Amino acid sequence: MQTWNYIEYAAWGLSALFGLYMLVDWFRTDTSYSEDVLTSSREGELEALTEEEHKA
Amino acid sequence: MADIDITSKTMDGMGPHGTKVGLLRVLGPAHVWALGVGIVLVGEYMGWNFAVGKGGAYAALIACWFAGILYTCVAMIDSEVTSTVAAAGGQYTQAKHIVGPLMAFNVGLYLTFAYTMLEAANAITAGYLISVVATMTGYEGALDQRPFIILSILFLAWLNYRGVLATLTFNLVITAIAFVAILVLFVSTSGIIGTGIVQHAALFEGHELPYGWIGVLAAMHFGLWYYLGIEGTTQAAEEVRSPARALPFGTLAGIMTLLIAATLTWYTCSGVLPWEFLGDGVNGSVAPLFDTARLSGSNALVWLLGIGTLFATLASANGCINDASRAWFAMGRDKYLPGWFGAVHPKYRTPYRSIVFLVPIALIFALGAPLDQVITFSILSGLLEYTFMPLNIILFRKKWPMGSIKRGYEHPFHPLPAIVLLCLCGITFFAVFLGYGTQLVAMIGFYIVVSLWFHFWRYRFVNRGAQFTMPWPKPQGY
Amino acid sequence: MAHYSAPKQGKASQLIDVIVLVALTVGALFVPLWLGMAGSTKTVSNPAEAPTWEALGQNAAQAAQYEALGYDPASAHDLILARFDYSFTAGALIAMIVVVVLYYVLLLRFSESEYREVIAEKFGEK
Repeated sequence: MQTWNYIEYAAWGLSALFGLYMLVDWFRTDTSYSEDVLTSSREGELEALTEEEHKA
Repeated sequence: MADIDITSKTMDGMGPHGTKVGLLRVLGPAHVWALGVGIVLVGEYMGWNFAVGKGGAYAALIACWFAGILYTCVAMIDSEVTSTVAAAGGQYTQAKHIVGPLMAFNVGLYLTFAYTMLEAANAITAGYLISVVATMTGYEGALDQRPFIILSILFLAWLNYRGVLATLTFNLVITAIAFVAILVLFVSTSGIIGTGIVQHAALFEGHELPYGWIGVLAAMHFGLWYYLGIEGTTQAAEEVRSPARALPFGTLAGIMTLLIAATLTWYTCSGVLPWEFLGDGVNGSVAPLFDTARLSGSNALVWLLGIGTLFATLASANGCINDASRAWFAMGRDKYLPGWFGAVHPKYRTPYRSIVFLVPIALIFALGAPLDQVITFSILSGLLEYTFMPLNIILFRKKWPMGSIKRGYEHPFHPLPAIVLLCLCGITFFAVFLGYGTQLVAMIGFYIVVSLWFHFWRYRFVNRGAQFTMPWPKPQGY
Repeated sequence: MAHYSAPKQGKASQLIDVIVLVALTVGALFVPLWLGMAGSTKTVSNPAEAPTWEALGQNAAQAAQYEALGYDPASAHDLILARFDYSFTAGALIAMIVVVVLYYVLLLRFSESEYREVIAEKFGEK
């Protein structure tokens, strides 16, 4: 049965495709946004709130 | 502070405040159920049967129910704490607020490793299944399983990368199919419809407890496998629309589903497969439900359970990628790990760097280690985490007694569940010691080394007061 | 208590931290494997001389299931008779208990001191 050999190659190919998609998108995201925006998430988004209230 | 209430939809304090790009809040209770059950259900399709090998079929049933009690305690305790501490990172964030930073760091690592190892085990099983299908369809020679192992991890990582809603909706569908497959197999083999093929009395004769009672203790090790991962529901906390309601509901519905599935699985498989074959997950029955279907003589059942097994492994790996990356992300966000990991994708709103980073780690284990070792590594990390939970809830009730903060769910009979959980964890430690004592010590050695590394080096990058983010009053006794 | 402000970590230092963690993780799994100390293997301590289903302790129903799975008494011999060895020494058990308890004590002690610092900074001293 040759079919399964083709399926094997297809699996390798698809893996590469998914991997490549993530790597390319990752690179493009990191170069088009600033690090401050990307890592601006705060836990429960409460930290920012409490910090502000402390200052007030 | 008074205008924040975790049980309210509009004032739970999770508005877009200060955060420019955060995780997206789109999930409902059904997704929480799918995340919890999806991760675990694979445990009924493979792995639990090692418990049969450890002590015989009855031992596996006793272990199934005791582990069920253990996990019911876990689910109740978890529901109470997480309906109050709703943030990505789950138990990690709980530990940070209730026990302390070093504990939190360890819990974060337990979570990441338990899930990443489970993900690797799933990928190995998926690869094996595809090679079985190849043989069944007439392929001669050995199929290379590696491309299929790699493909399943990369495809699911890609799905996770692209967004949480699609990921967990996918999980909901395939988990439901896998669960229905178990029900169908039970109904059609037990004699409820048509003639039954289960024959417990004849198959158990002479092999009731092949190792005696110590076998029952030893079986607890793999008894955990029936339910391992249900506590992962809490990782979705930051992405659920109303965490205080959806998390307890999804988690408790999940554990009930699993108790049913685990008991039915045991009943069906042990009534059809002899225990020596069933209990050997390497040379004997790798996928027990699938093997049961093969003996049923019905081709439709073989295909249904084959598909069920594949779906269960994929659902589990999928949920694991989701949970491990949330825990890793939460630690990065707090600088427990390099802050670089705390990034959220501006378009897909997922912790994309954590997702990508964990892919090669999962691959190392999926391609380089034998299945039972990977499972043991996962179980051990889980076990350390369950041992932390009773300590966590006792301190939680002590530092913030009932009424001092608003809880979304309050678990009954405190401190009984905590004590029961602690005792069962002790028994399981002994069970692991019986078979895998060296790994246990190696693993704890690892956690001691990283704990020292964290305390004396890594912790300097963490802001002290700011990591306490819950709008709670000062804990009692401080 | 003075407000602690954490230093900003450079890229290279972040990278080193990740490498250290990954190396430790991989080490924890693979070192026991390489040293050959991993896991328990089953062994056949009482092999049957002429394997028949009866000699392997299988009744008719059990033998029928094995045959349905494609085994004969010879090929099922090792699968059926292999057993785990659950014997252990008291010393090893005590060593394990000590390690587990020590680990949790260490965790709780260090966590507590760090936690007091967090609470003091967050809520101010009493």
